[in-house]
Amino acid sequence: MASSAMDQMNGASSSSSSAQNGQNEDSNAFKLKFCTVCASNQNRSMEGHLRLSQAKYPVISFGTGSLVRLPGPTISQPNVYKFNETSYDSIYRELEAKDPRLYRANGLLNMLGRNRQVKWGPERWQDWQIGMPRVKHEHDKGSEGMEGGVADVVITCEERCWDAVVEDLMNRGSPLNRPVHVINIDIKDNHEEASIGGRAIVDLADSLNKIAAEEREKVGAAAFDSGGAAGRSSFDERVPDVLADWQERWPNLPATWTLAWF
Amino acid sequence: MAAPAKPLTVNEQLQQLNAARKIVLENPAYYDKIVKGILPIIGPSSPVELRRWGAEFLAESLSTPALNSRGKENLTVAILETLRSLVESQTEDPLVLKASVMAAASAYPVVVRWIIHNAYHTESWEHMSAIKSRILRIWDGALTPIKICCIKFAQRVVLAQTASNNTEQKLNGLDVSLDKIPPNHQRLDPRYLEAEATGLLDRMLGTLQDNSSDVVLVDATLNALSVLIRTRPGTSNRILNAVLNFNPFTIANSSPMTSKTKVMIKSMEKTTRMLLIHLMKREPGHPMAQRIHQHIEKLMRSRAEVLDEAGRKRALADQAAAGYGDAKRQRVEVAATGVPQLQIQPLAPGPQSLAALFTLTTNPGLQAFDATQIPVAMASRISVKTLATIDQQILNQALMGIRNRLSAYKAGAVAAAAAAATAAAQPAVLNPDTAPLGIDEDDDDYEPDFYAAEDTEQILNKLDGPPPEEPPQDQNAETDTALTALATFKLPPPPSLDPEAVVKVGQIAAARVFGPLSTLEEPAVLRKPKAGINRLAASSYDRDSWLTLITRLATRSSAGLEDASSGIKPEEALDQSRMTLGTMIRELLYNYVLEDFRRRIETAVAWLCEEWYNDQITKRSKLDGPLHYEKCAQRLLDGFLPYLTAQDKILTRFLAEIPELSRALLGRLTALCRDPTTVQLALTSLLYLAMMRPPVREIALDTVQDIWIEFEDARPLAAKYLVKWRPGFIEAQTAAASAGSDGTPNAPAITA
Repeated sequence: MASSAMDQMNGASSSSSSAQNGQNEDSNAFKLKFCTVCASNQNRSMEGHLRLSQAKYPVISFGTGSLVRLPGPTISQPNVYKFNETSYDSIYRELEAKDPRLYRANGLLNMLGRNRQVKWGPERWQDWQIGMPRVKHEHDKGSEGMEGGVADVVITCEERCWDAVVEDLMNRGSPLNRPVHVINIDIKDNHEEASIGGRAIVDLADSLNKIAAEEREKVGAAAFDSGGAAGRSSFDERVPDVLADWQERWPNLPATWTLAWF
Repeated sequence: MAAPAKPLTVNEQLQQLNAARKIVLENPAYYDKIVKGILPIIGPSSPVELRRWGAEFLAESLSTPALNSRGKENLTVAILETLRSLVESQTEDPLVLKASVMAAASAYPVVVRWIIHNAYHTESWEHMSAIKSRILRIWDGALTPIKICCIKFAQRVVLAQTASNNTEQKLNGLDVSLDKIPPNHQRLDPRYLEAEATGLLDRMLGTLQDNSSDVVLVDATLNALSVLIRTRPGTSNRILNAVLNFNPFTIANSSPMTSKTKVMIKSMEKTTRMLLIHLMKREPGHPMAQRIHQHIEKLMRSRAEVLDEAGRKRALADQAAAGYGDAKRQRVEVAATGVPQLQIQPLAPGPQSLAALFTLTTNPGLQAFDATQIPVAMASRISVKTLATIDQQILNQALMGIRNRLSAYKAGAVAAAAAAATAAAQPAVLNPDTAPLGIDEDDDDYEPDFYAAEDTEQILNKLDGPPPEEPPQDQNAETDTALTALATFKLPPPPSLDPEAVVKVGQIAAARVFGPLSTLEEPAVLRKPKAGINRLAASSYDRDSWLTLITRLATRSSAGLEDASSGIKPEEALDQSRMTLGTMIRELLYNYVLEDFRRRIETAVAWLCEEWYNDQITKRSKLDGPLHYEKCAQRLLDGFLPYLTAQDKILTRFLAEIPELSRALLGRLTALCRDPTTVQLALTSLLYLAMMRPPVREIALDTVQDIWIEFEDARPLAAKYLVKWRPGFIEAQTAAASAGSDGTPNAPAITA
């Protein structure tokens, strides 16, 4: 576990200049905007956030829980923090002061060390003002392209979080009239699974981005007029195909999807 | 790609546009200027890249939460013409069209609001109407991505043109609704708009009503419905009916189950369910709640059936078949074995266990099964379930079988007894038959549930059958009873109690009387007419009645019984070891009141009233019993006095309400005056007594006097009251004091 997290940290510091796959060589190429979501915006969503940003996708991340909960010395004594008000760095320093051996051994310090390289602190989904320009986040990884404060695809890491996101979007009443694909990938909340899940997320992102880019390459009324056959090329319609193929590649990460509105 | 007509390449232009966008994102104040500035660049004649960028930028600008509604109005009105030209272009790029429809959806409520207040501005309404009719026209034939945006556009139109219940956020035009339009508006006719909205809603819901399997359309529709249902009551029922009648599983029947169909079914089912769950969370008391809950469950069941692999389905079917088969076999078995078993097996040799009597199965493995291994709870559950579902015929057969067995046994026993009578020395054999029932055999606890029930059955059988046929012989009757009825069971006598244990147990018993207080509710009516001392204790089972019961238990239960002990041996030591029921409950009552004396002062007063009443009765009947009132009152007062604060008006109330006040009791109040903060409380309470309880006025004033004399700090206030109620006292005191202290002739002159 620790090794994979360490890899990530190293990766984060060294590989930011090298593009990780073919799609991202051209900096002007079209990029879908992603948003990763888990319960505490610490492990799974941050793993996804980092991986997607390394793959040069615009990305932001959130947690849907009421508070940021991290394991403590016993199961009944979790370390609890407030969203939006606590930085990864301060949590890191606090835990390091509390019990460096324990928190290094259970991987928390590794994780927090990675997270503080990615962005300032955990953010809560429900407090996110969708569509509010995010121009103050230029130091966050994956912030480039996210200035508009909206995403094309939201990827949650747990069914519960998917439910929370979809319900929250219903509560908000979809004022922006902007479609968004909300996809859940069930990832267990531990470091190994998060790492595997991170790879799966990037795989999904690449597949989705590919069809989105293809859609954009078809220019003009030709695509519009040719009706049925060309209809197959629309991004939104092809999401189920992509997801089905992806699910066959990642049979252990059950997925759920809907098309919702911001 | 497309050749730029200007010196700048498209890419360079895009870079400039991106820079401009960055400026407005950083400072929304520039929106107006920049959007108006770029409108010429993104018109229908521009290269497609620029048009795409432009349409997407317009969609973003019109929906941004960074602008207030006024800023958005200016912006929207400014871009309508460009938007119209983008939408109306016959050969527009799908992505441009999609973004334009999104922009139109955001624009629509803003324009409606604008027109409500600026009816003269016909131009913008014309543009908007043209955009609307164009969108509604291309809706059906459009590509899916555009279609979903048309659905969303229709949703915003419906939202703006139906009556609101005003529960929506005042954000992004969600609050624009039909009731904002005045009935006699120059340009907007509410009746027409509402009719249009109704039609559009039907068109939206068409996707669901057709049980469409186009998952993108279905999801897009479902996810747009929540705000309509919640904030537009007029649409709620129609939408809910459409959602509840929508079947997300139709595609499962029409096409093979590929992984794509699974993704689609899962998506439609989950989205439908989320919408319903969300509505239930928002409004648990919804009139259709029950139907919605049922539908949610039905969806989950169907999902499990359709998605969780055909394998499980078969397994279920197999299981059912197997279960059915078993039931059949059982029935045959019972029918077949019921009679033969009785004839063959029953009671050929003498001793038989009850278990054997009731065992119907011929399976040796089952016969050997020790039913006592099953936990009682489970056994009872199994029994209840079995009894509930058992076939009446089988039950009758089994009963008949057992009955036959018994009569057969009886016949055998009679024969044996007859033989025994002739051979003598046999009666002992039969009695032991029954004795080991509970001890000897493993099986014998078999089906403990039936034990007692069948017992009476047996007795009835016995009473029914044999007596007429059988001239009763004592021995036979005995064996029958012994077999069929259980031996009488005597509980071991309880250990004798020593007095201390009795006291202890008595205390526990008394404590239990207080048990219900913690769970009983406060009486619903706060101030019901008080019946005073004549009220019934147990008129209702609420806390009030129960407390009345307790206070009476404390005061009256042992009244008249205590005189002996108190009269002859009044030593305290004895009292402690032999508390009477009354004192025990008094002790507990005292603790109960003091636990929370501010709220339980009423209980204290009620209790003291009972004590007082009881004392009066005791005095009148000349029983010479102990009197409790004074003792209890003093103890209570001493109990809570140390905790009183300046705000505790309950002291005044307590003193006012308890039935009798003595000098000693009021004397306790002087303790309060040691603390300067409670001086006022003590004195006001006394003043109140002086004013409102004339019988104790003198005692109260005496106490005030004592306070005046004893506590320097309390003098100013005490003096104020004394001047009014005991004129002359202070002068007398001062005179006496000065005379006593130095005896100088000047002193009287000063006071005078």
